[in-house]
Amino acid sequence: MDRVVIKTADVDKIVPTAEGELTILDAIDLEINAGEAIAIVGASGSGKTTLLGILAGLDLPTSGTVVLGGAELTALNEEERAIVRGQQVGFVFQTFQLLGSLTALENVMLPGELRGEASAADDARELLTKVGLGARMGHYPRQLSGGEQQRVAIARAFASRPKVLFADEPTGNLDTVTGAKVIDLLFDLNAEFETTLVLVTHDDRIAARCQRIVEIDAGRIIS
Amino acid sequence: MNLSFVLRLAWRDWRGGELGLLVIALMVAVGTVTAVSLFVDRLHQALIDESSDFLAADRYIGSGQAIPDDFRNAALARGLDISDTMLFPSMVFVGDDKNQLVSVKAVDGGYPLRGTLKTADVPFTPGSPTTDLPAAGEVWLDSRLFPALGVSLGDTIEVGFAALRVGRVLTQEPDRGGSMYDLGPRLLMRMADVPATQVVQPGSRISYRLLLRGEDSQLEALKDELPLEPNFWWRGIRESSPSIGSALDRAESFLLLGGLLGVLLAGVAVALSAHRYARRHYDHVGILKTLGATPNQILIGYLMLLFAIGTVAVSLGLIIGGLLHLAIVAILQSLIPMALPMPSARPWLLGAATGFICSLAFALPPLIHLRNISPMRVIRRDIGAAPPSQIISYGAAAAGSLGLLIWYSGSLRLTAYTLIGTLGVMLLFGVLATLLLRGGRVIGMQAGSGWRLALAGLQRRRRENTAQIMIFGLAIMLLLILFLLRTSLLDEWRNQVPESAPNHFILNISPADVASIDSMIAGVSDQKGGLYPMIRGRVIEANGVAAEEWEKRVRPQGGDGPRLRSGRNLTWAADPPEDNRIVDGEWWSADETRALVSLEDDYARDLGLSVGDTLTFDIAGEIVEVEISNLRHLDWESMRPNFFIIFSPSVLEDFPATYMTSFFLEPDKKQFLNDLLAKHPTITVIEVDAIIAQLRSIIARVSQAVELILSLVVASGCLVLIASIQASRDARMSEHALIRALGGTRKLIAGSLAAEFAVLGLFAGIVAVVGAEVTVAILQSQVFELKMNAHPWLWLVGPFGGAGLILLVGMLGTRSLISSPPIIVLRGLN
Repeated sequence: MDRVVIKTADVDKIVPTAEGELTILDAIDLEINAGEAIAIVGASGSGKTTLLGILAGLDLPTSGTVVLGGAELTALNEEERAIVRGQQVGFVFQTFQLLGSLTALENVMLPGELRGEASAADDARELLTKVGLGARMGHYPRQLSGGEQQRVAIARAFASRPKVLFADEPTGNLDTVTGAKVIDLLFDLNAEFETTLVLVTHDDRIAARCQRIVEIDAGRIIS
Repeated sequence: MNLSFVLRLAWRDWRGGELGLLVIALMVAVGTVTAVSLFVDRLHQALIDESSDFLAADRYIGSGQAIPDDFRNAALARGLDISDTMLFPSMVFVGDDKNQLVSVKAVDGGYPLRGTLKTADVPFTPGSPTTDLPAAGEVWLDSRLFPALGVSLGDTIEVGFAALRVGRVLTQEPDRGGSMYDLGPRLLMRMADVPATQVVQPGSRISYRLLLRGEDSQLEALKDELPLEPNFWWRGIRESSPSIGSALDRAESFLLLGGLLGVLLAGVAVALSAHRYARRHYDHVGILKTLGATPNQILIGYLMLLFAIGTVAVSLGLIIGGLLHLAIVAILQSLIPMALPMPSARPWLLGAATGFICSLAFALPPLIHLRNISPMRVIRRDIGAAPPSQIISYGAAAAGSLGLLIWYSGSLRLTAYTLIGTLGVMLLFGVLATLLLRGGRVIGMQAGSGWRLALAGLQRRRRENTAQIMIFGLAIMLLLILFLLRTSLLDEWRNQVPESAPNHFILNISPADVASIDSMIAGVSDQKGGLYPMIRGRVIEANGVAAEEWEKRVRPQGGDGPRLRSGRNLTWAADPPEDNRIVDGEWWSADETRALVSLEDDYARDLGLSVGDTLTFDIAGEIVEVEISNLRHLDWESMRPNFFIIFSPSVLEDFPATYMTSFFLEPDKKQFLNDLLAKHPTITVIEVDAIIAQLRSIIARVSQAVELILSLVVASGCLVLIASIQASRDARMSEHALIRALGGTRKLIAGSLAAEFAVLGLFAGIVAVVGAEVTVAILQSQVFELKMNAHPWLWLVGPFGGAGLILLVGMLGTRSLISSPPIIVLRGLN
C-alpha cells in the first residue's frame, strides 16, 4: 500500500477581490503519510483553513494538483469528489456542524445512511457509547453542551470509517478543560481507527501532540 | 439517497418544524382551490339547473317554421327528452260582444321539461304547482283574461273555430320571462286542439319551439349535428334571457378571478416558505456534502422530498378542501333552497394539479439551487450561498402562474389582464417601495429610539424590505381588488333590479284612456314610469337603398343580428330616456323641427348604420324619411321599456299611437289589475314581478358565493403575510438578539418591531391602493363591463388597514423572538 495518502503539487489559491487578485495559497507542496497526525498552524488569515478545504476536496485550487487516497481531486468534478469524500474522509469542525433537526443518534447515523448501510443505527450507537454519550442519544444538539456536541461530531466523523480525518479548530469553541477532553478523545479514536489526522489549530499544545507541524504564513509553508 | 432515507430526513425536518409552513402553504393552496371549485362547480350546476326553468328546458330550437321530424328523431336518438310548443297571437271571443287578443301557447305532453306550472281556481291568487296540463278541449287562462272576457271557470270561449272550456287560472309558467314583448295575456292549450281552431294558416305568425332536456354533451353534439342555419335558432339560458345570462357570466368571472387570486397568493406563500426552507438548509447541504453526498444525490433527494411533501399536502389539502366545502354548504344550506347536484371530477383534479404545479413552479427553484451549495460553506460561512437564479425562480413562478391561471379560468383575456396587471404593479411597487424607504430614513432621523431603530433596520435591509413591501402590497392589493369588485358587482346587481322597480307594464293604452289609467295607478302606487307613445313601423330603405339589399350588403353571409326590415315598436321623445347614454352624435333640442331619429348603438352597428345616414320608414302606410342624429347605449338588463328606435317628436306626433307605461304594484294589491282591466278591457298588462323575483333570488345566491370566495381569499392572503414574516424572522432574530445582548430592553425591541411592521404595512398599503385602483379600473371597464370609479376612502383604509394587519400578524409571528432569552437565539445561530 502506498504510504502517501495526501499529496499536493504547486497548489495556488487566488481569489478576485474589489482591490484586485488576492493570493491565499502560494505554491503549496505537501505530502502526508498514512497514519500520520499532522498539525497545520499559522496566524488568522494565513490560509490554513483554505488549505484544509482543498486537501479534503471541499474546494479546488486555482492551479496545482491534489491527490487524496489515490484519487486526483483536481481532475474530478464535484460529483466525483463527493464520492471520494464519502469513502475516505471524515470532518470535525470548530462550530460542530450538527444538523439541528436531528438527534445525536440521527446525526451520527447520517454517513451510514448516505451510503445505504443497514447497520448505520447500530454503528452509531456503538460510537456514541464510545464517546460517552450513550445516555444522550435521543437529545437534540440544542439540548447538549458545546463539549457534548463536539463529541457527537467526532462520533459522526468516525462513523464513515475514514482514511483521513480533517479537524478544523476542533476546540475553538470550547473552554480549556472541555477542549482538552475532546482532544484526548480525538487522538484516542484516531489511534484506535488508525486514521490519518490533519488538524488545523492555533493552539501550540494541541499541535505539539501531532507527529508533524506544518506552519503557514501568508499562504506559504514556512516550516 | 434512497426514498426511505429522504422520507426519514423529511420526517425529522417536519418534527423539527422546518417543513411546517411549506406543507401548510401547499395544503392551503390545494384546500382553497378544491373547496372553491367544488362549491362553485356545484353551485354553478344548480344555478344552470334553476336557470333552465326560465326556458322550461335545458335548450330549445326555435323557428318561424314547423320543426322538422328529423330534428326530433336526432334528439331522441341522443337520449334527449323533447317537447313541442307553438306560440301565436289570436283573438278569442266570448259571446258576441267580448273579445281579446291573447298569446296562445299550445303544448304537448311533457311540457315543461324544466320548472313547473302554477295554477289556481281564483284569478290573481298565487296558485300552486301542478304537473297537469290542460285536458283535450280545455284551456287555462291568465288571471287578467277573466275580467277582460268576463268569464269564470267552466265557461266556454272560442279560439278560432274551436270552442274550448276554461279549466283553470294559469298563474305561472316557467318560460314566460323570455321576452317582454311576448304581448297579450296567456292562453294555454293542448297541441292536439290546434287544428280544430283553424287559426294556423300559411303566413300566420307562429313561433315554434322544440324543447330539449338532457346531458350537456349530448345537447352540444346535437347542436353541431343539426342543419340549423339560417331558419332555426338554438337557444340556451344565455341567449334567451340576457339579464340572467349576464348575471351568471359576471358571477362566474368573479368567482374565477377570486379563485385565481387565491391560487396566486397561495403560490407566493409556497415560494416564500420554500425559499426559507432552502435557505435554512444551506448548512444541511454543506454538511451532507462533506459526508459524501453528491450534488445529484442532493438534487434527487430534494426532488423526492418535494414530491413526498407535495403528495402529503395534496392528499390532506383535498380532504380539507372537501370538508371545508361541506362546511360551506352546511352554513349556506338555509340560504340555498335548491338541492346541489354532485360535483364533477374537475374540482378534485384542479385541486391536485394546483398542489403539484405550485410545488414545481414555486417551491422547486430554490430547492434545485441547493445542489450548488459549496461544501466549503461548513468551514467558511461566507462561501457558497449565492442566491438562486432570479431568472429561474421568477421564470418558473411566472410560467406556473400562467399555466394555472389559463387552466383555471379557461380565459386567456382574464389571465392576461391579471398577469399584466400583477407584473406592472410589481414594477410600480418596487419603485414606490424604494422611494418610501428612502423617505422613511429622513423622517427616522428625527424619531424616538424605538422608531429610529426600526427605520434604521428597514433601511439596512433595504433589498429584503423592498421585496417584503412588494409581497405585502401584492397580498393587500389582491384583497382590495376583490373587495372593490365584489362591492361594485353587488351594487350593480342591486341597482339592476331596485326594490321599487316597475313590476307591471301596460301597453295598448289609447290616448283617450291615458288620463283615466294615470289616475287609477296613482291610487295604488306612487312609483310610475314614463309614458311612451308606441306605433308600429318598419324600415324600407337605408340611404336610399332598399332595406333587403342593404342587409345583404352588410351581412352577405346572413347570420344572426336584428333585421332591418322587421316591423318594430317605434316611439318618440323630447328628452333621452334617463338610463340611456348618447355615445355618438347629439340629442335633439326640445323645439327640433327636422325629421331625426336616434338608434341603439349595437343595432346601428350590426346594420352598418351611423350618424348622418338616412332611413326611410313605412309607418301606417305613410313613408317617412329621417336622418340618424345620434346613437344611444342602453342597459338591456334594466327592467324598463327600451327602444331600438326613437324619433324626434315632430315626425310622429300626428300619427295615431297607443301608449305604454310601467308602474310598481305591491304583491298584495294584485286585485287592482282586475279593476283596471275591467274598466279598460283593451289594454294589455304584463306582470314582470315573477321574473324580477326570480332574478333577485339568483342574484342573492350568486352574491353569497361571492362573499364566500372573498373570505377564502382573505385566508390565503393572511397566509402569505405569515409566510413572508416568517421568511424574514431569522434575520430579525439575530439582529434583535444582538441588540438585547448589548443591553436593549424587551420593550425597546418590541417597540422597534412594532414600528417596523407598522411602517412596512403602511408602505405596503400605499402601494396596494395604487395597484388596486389601477387594476380595478381596468377590470371594471374591460372584463366586467361596469362603470369605472375612484374610491377616495381606500386611500385611508388601505395604508392604515395595511399597517394594522401587518402589525398584528407580524407581532403574533415574532412573539417568541421577543420572549426568548438572547443566549438561546445567539446559540441557535451557530
